[in-house]
Parts: sequence; C-alpha cells; structure tokens
Amino acid sequence: MRMLRAIFAHPSGRIGGFIVGLYLLLAVLGLLGLTPHNPLMQYRIDRLHAPDSTYWMGTDLFGRDVASRLMMGIGQSFIVAFFSVAFAALAGTVLGLAAAWFGRRWDGIVMRVMDVLLAFPAILLALLIVAVAGPGTWTSIVAIAIVYTPIFTRVVRGPALSLKAREFVDAARTFGSSSSYIVTRHLLLNLVAPLTVQITLALAWALLTEAGLSFLGLGTQPPAASLGLMLSDSRNLMETAPWLMIFPGIAIMISILGFNLLGDALRDIFDPRMRRALA
Amino acid sequence: MTYLLRRLAVFPLVLIGVSIVVFVAIRMVPGDAITAMLGTEAGLLTPAQREALAAYFGIDQPWFVQYGRWLAGLLHGNLGISSTYGKPVLEIILERFPLTLELALLSMIIALVVGVPAGVFAATHNEKLSDLGVRVAAMIGQSTPNFVLALLIIYTLSAGFGVLPAMGEFSPLWRDPLRNLGQLILPAITLGCAFAASVTRISRSAMLDVLSDDYVRTARSKGVSARGVIWRHALPNALIPVVTLSGIEFGYLLGGAVIVEQIYALPGLGRLVLDAILQRDYALVQGAVLFIAFNFMIVNLLVDLAYVALDPRIRLGEQ
Amino acid sequence: MVQQLTRKLLSGMALPAVALAAVLGIVSVPIQANAATLHMAWSQDATGLDPHKQTAFSSLRLLELIYEPLVRVDASLQIVPAIATSWQFSADGKELTLKLDPKAKFQNGATVTSADVKASFERILDEKTGAAARANFLSIASIDTPDPATVVFHLSQPDVPILTAMSDVNAAIVPASEIAAGSVGTKAIGSGPFKLDKWDPNAKEVLSANKDWTGGATGVDGIEISVLPDETAILAALRTKQIDFALLNDPLVATLVPKEASLQLNRVPVLAYHVLQLNPSRKPMTELKVRQAISCAIDRQEVLDTASLGEGKVTGPLTIPAMATDPSQLFCYKRDIEKAKQLMSEAGYADGFSATVIGATGEPPTAAAEAQVIQSQLAEIGVKLDIKMMELNVYVDAWLKGDFDMAVALNGGRADPYTMYNRYWTKTGNLQKVANYIDDTLDRQMQQGRAETDPARRKAIFADFEKHLAEVSPWIWLYTSYSYTAQQKNVSGFVPTPTGTLFSLSKVTIQQ
Repeated sequence: MRMLRAIFAHPSGRIGGFIVGLYLLLAVLGLLGLTPHNPLMQYRIDRLHAPDSTYWMGTDLFGRDVASRLMMGIGQSFIVAFFSVAFAALAGTVLGLAAAWFGRRWDGIVMRVMDVLLAFPAILLALLIVAVAGPGTWTSIVAIAIVYTPIFTRVVRGPALSLKAREFVDAARTFGSSSSYIVTRHLLLNLVAPLTVQITLALAWALLTEAGLSFLGLGTQPPAASLGLMLSDSRNLMETAPWLMIFPGIAIMISILGFNLLGDALRDIFDPRMRRALA
Repeated sequence: MTYLLRRLAVFPLVLIGVSIVVFVAIRMVPGDAITAMLGTEAGLLTPAQREALAAYFGIDQPWFVQYGRWLAGLLHGNLGISSTYGKPVLEIILERFPLTLELALLSMIIALVVGVPAGVFAATHNEKLSDLGVRVAAMIGQSTPNFVLALLIIYTLSAGFGVLPAMGEFSPLWRDPLRNLGQLILPAITLGCAFAASVTRISRSAMLDVLSDDYVRTARSKGVSARGVIWRHALPNALIPVVTLSGIEFGYLLGGAVIVEQIYALPGLGRLVLDAILQRDYALVQGAVLFIAFNFMIVNLLVDLAYVALDPRIRLGEQ
Repeated sequence: MVQQLTRKLLSGMALPAVALAAVLGIVSVPIQANAATLHMAWSQDATGLDPHKQTAFSSLRLLELIYEPLVRVDASLQIVPAIATSWQFSADGKELTLKLDPKAKFQNGATVTSADVKASFERILDEKTGAAARANFLSIASIDTPDPATVVFHLSQPDVPILTAMSDVNAAIVPASEIAAGSVGTKAIGSGPFKLDKWDPNAKEVLSANKDWTGGATGVDGIEISVLPDETAILAALRTKQIDFALLNDPLVATLVPKEASLQLNRVPVLAYHVLQLNPSRKPMTELKVRQAISCAIDRQEVLDTASLGEGKVTGPLTIPAMATDPSQLFCYKRDIEKAKQLMSEAGYADGFSATVIGATGEPPTAAAEAQVIQSQLAEIGVKLDIKMMELNVYVDAWLKGDFDMAVALNGGRADPYTMYNRYWTKTGNLQKVANYIDDTLDRQMQQGRAETDPARRKAIFADFEKHLAEVSPWIWLYTSYSYTAQQKNVSGFVPTPTGTLFSLSKVTIQQ
C-alpha cells in the first residue's frame, strides 16, 4: 500500500503505473473473454476490413477482430515477458553476485559459462527446446530466459565488483559483518537501481524477442495471438492492410513506455540515496 | 598481465565446451542434411541410398566418432568442409566477417554518439519536460522491432521515392567504399536505433546514480563547475554500466543480425548461421558458433579491462 | 484512402533518412552497364549443383538452365524434344527408343552421345548416388546404345509414364567423363542454354550464354541471380528497377505487383497442390465416415480465398489440366455441414474429437493460414484441432515418419498422374508409410494407368482413380495455387508453365 502511494507520488510513476495498470486490465479482460468480439471468430465476409465502428481496429486476413485479438495478445505477451524476465533476473542476479563476491575461480567459471550461453545462437536454442518440448508459450519463456540470464549476470557483476571495492563494504567487513549480510544489505540494495532499469529494458526486449521467435514459427502458436506474432504476421500485408501493423506496433510501444516509466519511478523509490535525499 | 594470460588460457577450454554443446544440440534437432537437401523427396530413398548420402555428408557415424574426427581436424587448423558451400568453413566465415564487423561498429558508433549525450542530458534535466522528451524518444527507438523499422525504411524509400541502396551483390569496403557505405548505412541505422535507445536509458540512469553520490557533491562544494563535474567526475563513473551494455550488444551484433541481414539481403554471419542451421550444415554451424563465441570472449575481456581503466579500484580476478 | 494516407504518413517519417542518404550521395540505383544481362532475384537459393540429387524447387529452376534432360514438357504439358529429337515406344510398351540430336554439345565441347545417356541413367540407378529420382526409373532393365545417336531402354514392365519422368532435370544427361571423374555436383557441365560462371551459395549466381547451345542463340548474354531472402525486399528492388525479373512465392506479395505501372506479373496455375493430409492409421481417421465428414465440413473455396487471397483454383487429386475432372463432380466438394455431422454420428463421433495438425513455417507461406481456416471450419462439426507449426526440416522429419494426425502440405505435382501418385497410392509406393492408406481399387487403377498407351483410355482410368480417391478421402485436396514471376515491362518472351520451370528465360529479351 505504501508502495503504491510512493509510485503515485512520483511523476513518471503515475503515468507508468497507469499504463501498466491499463494493460493488466486489458489482459485480464482478454483472458476472461470479455472482448468486443470473440478473438478467434473468423467473420469471413469481413476479411481485411478497415477499422470502423464495428471493428475498431479492423479485421485480419481471416476476418478476426484485431481489437479483440490485441487484448488476447497483450495477455499472452505479458505472460511470456514477465516469466522469462523474472527467471532471467533471478538466475542472473544470483550468478552475478556469486561471481563478484567469491571472485577468482568462481568468477572465471560463471562468466565463461555465460560466454558460452551468449555465443549460442538463440534460434538454435529455441529449435532445440521446441524439439524436446514442442512449441508454445513455455518454449518462448525458457528460450528467452536462457538468452537473458547472461546479460543479467554481467549487469550485476560489473557494479558489484565496483561496490565491493568501495569503502563502505570494507568498513562493514572490519566491523565484522557476515558475508551474507554484506551481500544482501550493501551490494544487493545498491544494485536495485541498475537492476530495475535492466528489468524494464529486458521486458521490452522480451516482447520483441517473442516477436522474433513467432516470426520463425517457434513462439506463440496460431490461432492464439501475441503482440509479436500479430506484428510479424502483418509484414506482408503492410501495404494492403496497414492497420494490422499499426495497432500492435502502437500497443507494443505504449506498453514499453509504461514499463520504462514505472521502472524509472521504482528505481528512484528503491534507491537508498534517493530515499535519504527525500527524507 | 598475469590476469590477461590467465584469461586467455581459459579460451580453449570454453571453446571446447561450446563445440560439444553445439555438436550435440544441432544433432538433437530433428532433420538432417539429407532431409534439408531433398525435403519430402527423401522418402523415395532406399536404405542403401540413404546410407550412401549419410556417408557423403559425414553423418553415418555415432556423434562421438564424428566429434573425434572434427576435433582431430581442428588440431590441424581445419574447421571442416561445409556441405552446402563445398568450401572450408573458416574461409566462408572469414568472407562474411568483415561485413558483420563493419555493421556492428557502425551501429555502435551511432548508438554511442546519440545515446550517451542524450542520456547525460536527460539525467541533468531529471523529471523536466526535456527529460521526458528524451525518454519518450528512447522508448520509441527501443520498442520498434527492427524488422518493422527495416520494412518501413525499405518501403518508404522504394515506393515513395523510387530509391534503394543496391541490393544483392555486396561491395566490400576496400573495393568500393561509397557503395559499401550506401549498402550498410540503412541497416546500421535500423540496428543503431534500438541500441542508441538502450544506451540513452542506461546512461541516464547511471548518471543519476553518480550525481547523487557523495564525491560528486564534494566536488561540487569545492567549486568545480557543473559542467566539469558532469564530464570529468561523474561521466567516467557512470560509464561502467554503459560499457557493460555496449559490450553485450556489440558482442551480439558480432554474432550477426539475422533479421536485418535477411531483409537488406546482406551476406553477414547471422544469415550464415541461420541458413546453416536450416540446411543442417553441421560443420558450418559448428565453426560459425565457435567463431562467434571466440569473438564474444574477446569483447568481454575488453569490457573487463575497460572496467579497470574506468574505475582503478576494481581489481580483476583477485580477492 | 487509408492506404494513401499511410503512404503519405510513412513518407513523411522517412524524410530525414532520405535527406541523410541524399546528402551523403550514397543511395545508388545502379544503372545497368550491360543491359543484355538479365538481373533476377529469388528468395531461396539453390542447394547444390548435382542435377541427379537436388530436388529443391530453386535448385531445379537453376539446373534447368544449365543441364538438359532427354525430353521436356511444354506449357501445355506435351512432351517436346530436348536432347532427344524423336522417341518411340514398342507395341508392348516395354521398349523405348530415342534418337539424339547430333548437334547437342556439352559445355566442355564434347558431343552428347548415347554413352553419356547410358552413363547418366546408370548413375541415377546406382544406389550409391543417392538419387531420389531413381524411384521413377526402376523399370529400366537394361540400356542399349546401338550407335552414338540412338539409345534403347529395355523395360521390365510396360511403363508409359517413364517418358514424362525423363523430362525432369533430375534425369538430366551429364557427361560420362564427369561421372567417371566424380566431379558432377562440383562442376556444372551440362548441354543447356547457360553456363554457370560463379555460384556463391545463398548470395548469388552468375550465368552466361552458352554459344554452342543447339537450341539457338539466347536472348540475353547472361543472367545474374541475387538471393534476396525477404520478398518485400524483392518487390522494392523491382520498384526501383534494380532487377528485371523475380520469382515470388507469397501471394500476399505477388498480388501487389500489378498495382505498379512499370511491372508485370506472370502467373500460371501449377501442378503442385495444397492438401490437408489425414493420417488414416490414427484413430479416428481410420474410419471412412470420419474422413468423409472432414471432407464435407471443409469449404475449399474459403480456404483458398482466405489463405491465398483467392489466387488459385479448387482442385481434386489430379492437377494436370488435360486429366483433371471438374471438382464439382467429386465427393462432397460442395460444403455440406449437415451431411458431415450425420457421418460423424454414424461413425460414433457425434461429439467430435481432438487432433493435432502440423505445418511447416513459411513452406508454403500460406500454411499457417490454411491451418487456421481449417481449424475454424472443422470446429463446426466438433473437431478440435491443435495447430503445430514447425521448422521445415523438423516437419519433414515428422512427415516422413508418418508421425502426425493431420498435416497441411504443398505437395509437388508431375506432368503424369502415375509418376505423381505412384509413391503414395500403390501398394509398393515408397511413401505408403506417409499416406497410410491403400485399397485394391486404387492399386489396380494405378497399375492399369501405367501400362495403358492409349491417351483416351488412360484419361478414363485416371478419372475413375480420382473419383475413388476423393471418395475414400485419405487426404482432403484443397486447391492449386499460381506460380508467380514478376518482371519489368521491357522484358519479353517469358512463358510461364505449370511445372514452374524458368527454361524459357533462354529466349527472353530486354528492350532498351
């Protein structure tokens, strides 16, 4: 509750919170089936219908209502983005902190394994997961999470190395604080700011990577919709039916704006120095 | 120095790790060079024909035998022969690499030249209207999938203005620098947009962090000018996350930008790997991934060294 | 209206980019230095140079310009001379004699002789070669070469369709010397209209005219083929006149071509067919009535209208114009939901069932759309379809193993119904394990069709075959689409054919 109030007090937090809230509402309505039309219903006589009062955002190649599919797609895309980024951020933070804190051999092993992962082509990875588990939502989530784990690891390790060398960590150590206390209390708290920014960046990336996977047929399976799939499906219809690209495109942009503004606000709220300044 | 040597010493180990993972992974994906060449016509083959083709493609032995063979070749500096190109793998990769390197460098230059000043500007105007403007611009850059951007650019140029950089045959830099730049500038802008947006956001955030730090305040109280504080004291410290991000992005771009290469018809590493995967050209996938991994490690090493240069307090690899 | 508006908006957005490019003076539209070279583009490149082994569409299209088979089929699918100038079946259909063109020369200067023909077919038949086309030539018992310009095929059984099979570039004649040297596939030495000067896989091919070609002078000095993987980029390159001629796959892109004043779209119905393959070895597709119900529940015209924007024609199993029956005569080609529901309940599936349909991503480009329309149509009789789109090789692997409930596919057609379907609908067909359905009637009709030499009686046999096949519905044949080529209007002389061949590029000219 206090958190919400803090977000609300922050100028970008207000806008960002509003956007993300709106998307969550749309996603929930979409998942509950409360859409203007059935997102899977093919109105065959109205194929590629331009936007009007019946179909607010027009219809697609099959005569399905784009507005309704957009609501469905937001739900799908958010699930993929949230889960994949959550996994990647969690794994990356743990690994990055471990690498920075233990240093030497640990650092070498963790970071070299991350190099291997980074070098591994995402498409091959996705193909492999699909071959083992079949295509679908979880495939996208796992593939994206694996791709972004090394990024989080590096993002955490860099500043953590720098923090570890700072005076206050040395001071804490001389005062006899335990390692775990120092790591969670000093390092992690100081990493919240870069992490939240990275998470909002990664959410944006995850939405786009899901588009890339769908583009290669490895992501969301038809007839379900995701923002990425809708965008990649629209590419060859760009000239015939521009609304098929415009609306999902705008939807992705606004959602990313929302993530970013909210992320910036959270960053300020979590930042201990900022809190000091505010207090 | 010893640190550098130790890092370099690990390279072969990592590369072996990569090669085993790729070797097994690509063979676990259904389909092989025979189905890639023949498609459904592969069903017309008799078992003897299949065996003959498998021997031709070198996939008739168990994977560890194949791996041993490949490793033996590697020790003689031979990455194998590509089944689709009929040429040594290393030769093909080295033909493609200059384009990929050039494209990655161009995109990074665009990103840094636009992104860092924009980020610093936004940070020093925190929560003002101009800050919001920079952030919204960054958001748009970041949220446009590069295939959408590429398609829009190509469509507008060709349908709206009747111009388009020469598609098809790629001119290397040393043969025709102007034509080369003409072919690469649009792809570089396409890639640079999202890259610049990320750099802007990261540098803004890092800058805000540093500006609230004690020593910056100290410097300020000592009467150092605002501009001096920002550029001389704050920026170098804020650059660590920027370097991290740029390093990762640059490393990724060195692995090739599949979709942008597809749309602009550029023969880069990304398309090479994608085509090799789709055609199940095992030797080529293997060699290319190894090459990309090597580049990644070099880039990451440089990034780590950059940390030390930017913040002398960091001592790498020491407790 | 909307389109115009967006076009305006888009051009507004790209202005800075254009200004930038113009200032730097680097947006270059290459002026064709040598107008007699045809600049061509396609999205998928050839995969190899061995004419006996390559079966991919692009590979065939490239190799047809370099190599020649004994005979060819023309635009109306009639057999016409290539290396052979005349041919004759013996009365019992077990001996085929061909006379070779004495002027035919390989690109290395050697004359094409009967020894080369014999060596080429022996290479195809040798299992070590791994030639998929071998399956079409199994009836060859021996080959005689009474003189350098005559070749006689002795067949183990009457085999009329073998002549059509010989028109395929997979049965191209290659020099016996190259076979002996083991260099077929690394060097491309044929007797066709063009020589391959350079091949950079997945990037470009450079072809130059073969001055010694017996077919006469070619209309252009050479052809340069660029691989532009994205078809919208091909369209852009056509619009800016960077290329003269292009091959297009996606109807969504091809239908934009006629809107450009300077461009011309060539389209022709092809032999390949879009089909929903059922797997009759899996429950409940084992039931005739279930398969028939599916056939009745599918509105083929609507699948065509949606997935291919109506670009094509509803078809029965036979796609060869001279052989095909009017589809409205076939079983349930008019959608009949009531009948479908009744058949379902008679089969004991009144409540429907669930199944998975597989498709290959982008192969054909309409696959995912077809699956979605079919999914929605079958939902009306209670069949719940789950769609799985796969990377092409993964799909092919599953397809060859018969590991699917249903599959959307674009299967290749042949100029002869026996060559086209012998692999699926005979008891010994190589792809029986994919088709998973055969009955005595189908097998008998196919064997009769193979042996019959009289065209009218052959047509009657295959008409019965088609009718029966549509009725037992192991697969649901949907439609044939068009093959598309796009060209600048100053290019003339290209004749599109149902086989999709680009052979007539040999006579194409470019007006200045």
